[in-house]
Amino acid sequence: MRIPISIMVNGKNYNLQVKPNELLLNVLRENFSLSGAKYGCGIGECGACTVLLNGRAVLSCLTLAVSANGQEITTIEGLSDGNKLHPLQESFIEEGAIQCGFCTPGMILSAKALIDEKPEPLNSEIKEAIRGNVCRCTGYISIITAIKAGAKK
Amino acid sequence: MARKDYYFLGKDFPRKDGAARATGKEVYPSDIFLPGMWHGKVLRSPYPHAGIKKIDFTKAENLGAVCLSYKDVRKKYFNQRQVSIPESTYLDWQILSDKVRQVGDAYAVIAAETKEILIEAVEAVEVEWEILPSYLTPEDAMKAEGNLIHDNYYIEDKEFRVKNNIACAREIVEGDVETGFKEADVIIENEFVTPRVYHCQLEPRSCVCRPEPDGGITVWPSTQALHNTRILLGKLFNLPLNKLNVVRIPGGGHFGSGIQTNSVIYHTVAVALKANKPVKIVMSREDDLYDHCRYPTKYTLKIGAKKDGTLVAGELKAIVDIGCHHIQAFAFLGVLVGWWHSLYRLENMKYNGIAVYTNKAPACAMQGYGAPQITFGVETTIGMLAEKLGIDPLELRLKNYVGLGETFWGQGPTVKSTIHSDGVKELIEKGSELIGWEKRPNPYNRKGRYRRGIGMARGFHTSGTGAPVPGEVKDYTTAMVKINEDGTVDLLTALMDHGGGTLDAAAKLVAEELGVPFEKVGVSPADTRSTGYDVCTHATRGVYCGGGAAYEVAKMAKQVLLGYASRILNAPVNALKTRPDLSRNEGVVYVDGMPEKNITIAEVARRAMNNDWGTAIAVKSIRMVNCPPAYTTYFVEVEVDMETGHIKIVKVVAGSDAGVVINPGLARGQLHGGFYRGAGMALLEDTDYDRKTGRLTNNGLLVDYKMLGAEDLPDPENFKVIFADTYEPTGPMGAKGIGEAALNPVPAAVASAVQNATGIWFTKLPILPEDILKGGKNR
Repeated sequence: MRIPISIMVNGKNYNLQVKPNELLLNVLRENFSLSGAKYGCGIGECGACTVLLNGRAVLSCLTLAVSANGQEITTIEGLSDGNKLHPLQESFIEEGAIQCGFCTPGMILSAKALIDEKPEPLNSEIKEAIRGNVCRCTGYISIITAIKAGAKK
Repeated sequence: MARKDYYFLGKDFPRKDGAARATGKEVYPSDIFLPGMWHGKVLRSPYPHAGIKKIDFTKAENLGAVCLSYKDVRKKYFNQRQVSIPESTYLDWQILSDKVRQVGDAYAVIAAETKEILIEAVEAVEVEWEILPSYLTPEDAMKAEGNLIHDNYYIEDKEFRVKNNIACAREIVEGDVETGFKEADVIIENEFVTPRVYHCQLEPRSCVCRPEPDGGITVWPSTQALHNTRILLGKLFNLPLNKLNVVRIPGGGHFGSGIQTNSVIYHTVAVALKANKPVKIVMSREDDLYDHCRYPTKYTLKIGAKKDGTLVAGELKAIVDIGCHHIQAFAFLGVLVGWWHSLYRLENMKYNGIAVYTNKAPACAMQGYGAPQITFGVETTIGMLAEKLGIDPLELRLKNYVGLGETFWGQGPTVKSTIHSDGVKELIEKGSELIGWEKRPNPYNRKGRYRRGIGMARGFHTSGTGAPVPGEVKDYTTAMVKINEDGTVDLLTALMDHGGGTLDAAAKLVAEELGVPFEKVGVSPADTRSTGYDVCTHATRGVYCGGGAAYEVAKMAKQVLLGYASRILNAPVNALKTRPDLSRNEGVVYVDGMPEKNITIAEVARRAMNNDWGTAIAVKSIRMVNCPPAYTTYFVEVEVDMETGHIKIVKVVAGSDAGVVINPGLARGQLHGGFYRGAGMALLEDTDYDRKTGRLTNNGLLVDYKMLGAEDLPDPENFKVIFADTYEPTGPMGAKGIGEAALNPVPAAVASAVQNATGIWFTKLPILPEDILKGGKNR
């Protein structure tokens, strides 16, 4: 059985048919080739699959594709306009907040959801916003610095 | 720090892979989707120890799946890790075996055209098991006489029988310990226990394999060692190496878990070859948790000192629970004593190490490779000795540490070299000032609920595993440097970058040596068909050995370039120099003393091509003949809540002696990350097993494998990083390693701070809140 849905992905509207149990993560990675959303655990423990759903950070591995019907999804691929990087993408590179890079897409999207709401976040607010995003490389120090720097840009 | 006359070293540039990683365009093994690609799954044992009586794939195969068991694969034993020389490599692995040795052990591999068929096929496999007695602790395992985890292992072609599940042992004696202890005024002896930490690299280990029309294969694996993976796959599948291409692809973290060729790689290859289809296998997080961990250790450490603080004798007895296979247990027993030997001078020492098989995930290297484990015990003992002798702990360390001009054991007893750079004193002096060492409280008269304490520990890691005379470990890297016809440069090497900026560092060394702008040096895509051998990016050897090779080969390419330039400028080669002309964004060759007589590197390369002189290119395998210690010191301030037992990290001063620092921003990142993982080992991280079921008590779930989060770490303003101003004369432009050193002293430093806050000397990690509440007893 397949269910028709229409979703907006990175600013464009799409109509597609998905299985009722299909996860948004798999649809993004396999149907849209948007592999910036990563599979790290598949059960909502690591945050590597984070995308924005109507501007809020959600775990795409815990989101059924059908539940995204009629909604707006932004993945890391949709964050810059293709020419210029988003300020957070710039600041993550400049501040050394990227090491292996596997958590980076999800981390940047969680940070974007935060600074859209709080343009000048405190350390404590940043730590709270990225609680669900595991980074095993950086010790989070440069990530916090990068989010602050990105917010100021 | 960087010498003033460097153009690029010591300065921060955006990492070359930064844009790809920030935009989601970087491709990791799990992100590969090939046309016609099948999906694979490894079937894993629910039992800790069992034989396969019968396995039936009929129903699965009727669904269209391709299935493999031990019956379908080569029987010969191997070791996943190919870093040691064959004489020191213990072989006890098979592609698939007729018995399983841990919960999560592979017993079959299945691939199918769609995920849906795969799921059905997996459920259709029928297995009958013969349950065997299992051993979840080394103590239980060593009592066993029958039903051993392995009956035998091999070294090269020679078979060895296993007794009492003992995988291997090592004894090393230097001097005369008995006489040494007689000279001691104070002797401290304790048992130390360190946890079974999980790497938790964020990408579960994955692999894609595509069979090629010529009978060869292309493999995209999670690995730290392209060439060793290729060589092992060649042996396992009887493929000539020139038809076996292993492609460099970034891994979503390694931390040592990819030094060996993980089972998912050869399982993917085996099923892809049988199906004759491209196949991808991405391990689940649960499977990954059963696949690798840090070596847990339990050891008794005894050290004796004279009244004046001179250390006179030491004895170490260690038991290492290696899980159900050899990966590098023999080498590990060697480095455990090696790191100890290189921390503090001890003329008289005795060591006895035993590695024991248990029915658990095989332990392997993880950042520090035994150094965090042994440094915890040694540094804690030094702290205790200082207290007993009434000597300042910093003074006691400075009096006894192994430093300049002394011998360093870079990788156990067979890899030794002389120390030529040493920033320990500088790091201790600056670090103690920044943390406020003088204000350390007396730990024994504390009152109140919240108690602050300041602690420290020092350590190091080796930079690679080179030595004047090759030891048990292979160590060389091949690099190729090519100056293109527009003045840009290609660097080709099989070196990996795990995220620390190793490849950027190698490119920077090439740019600096050739005198071209950094952004003009590109790191070429690499695979095993187009690169020469590199042993593995491990042992903190990336910059020193891999960068060292790139630097030496850049010198050779430069000589070729200068030969061409000499014809154009009509000046002898030894009168020519190069430099980057940053205003023109070009590399320039000029006559020394006559800077107006110059030509761009691009023009030289172009003319060399048009005149048929050739390309300025060089390639060579380089072996470093030294392994300098990259020293680190950590000063840590904590606040302990005596009512809840919660330990809060307040402030960190991390010090690193990496020689000339090539990428300062990324190097600071190494210390941030090293501290985070080391503090996790000190305060939280461990994996234990249910002795009845043989299962991990976290059940393969990250929610029950606790790691520190951003909220548990100090704010960026309270994390200071300092670098020693040293120059490593044997390294490329003065550089040595940093990576693993960034973690090694951390668990000891955190424990030292907790001791200063509470008065409790902890000898077992992690230090949990309940341990604080129990006053360090009863656990």
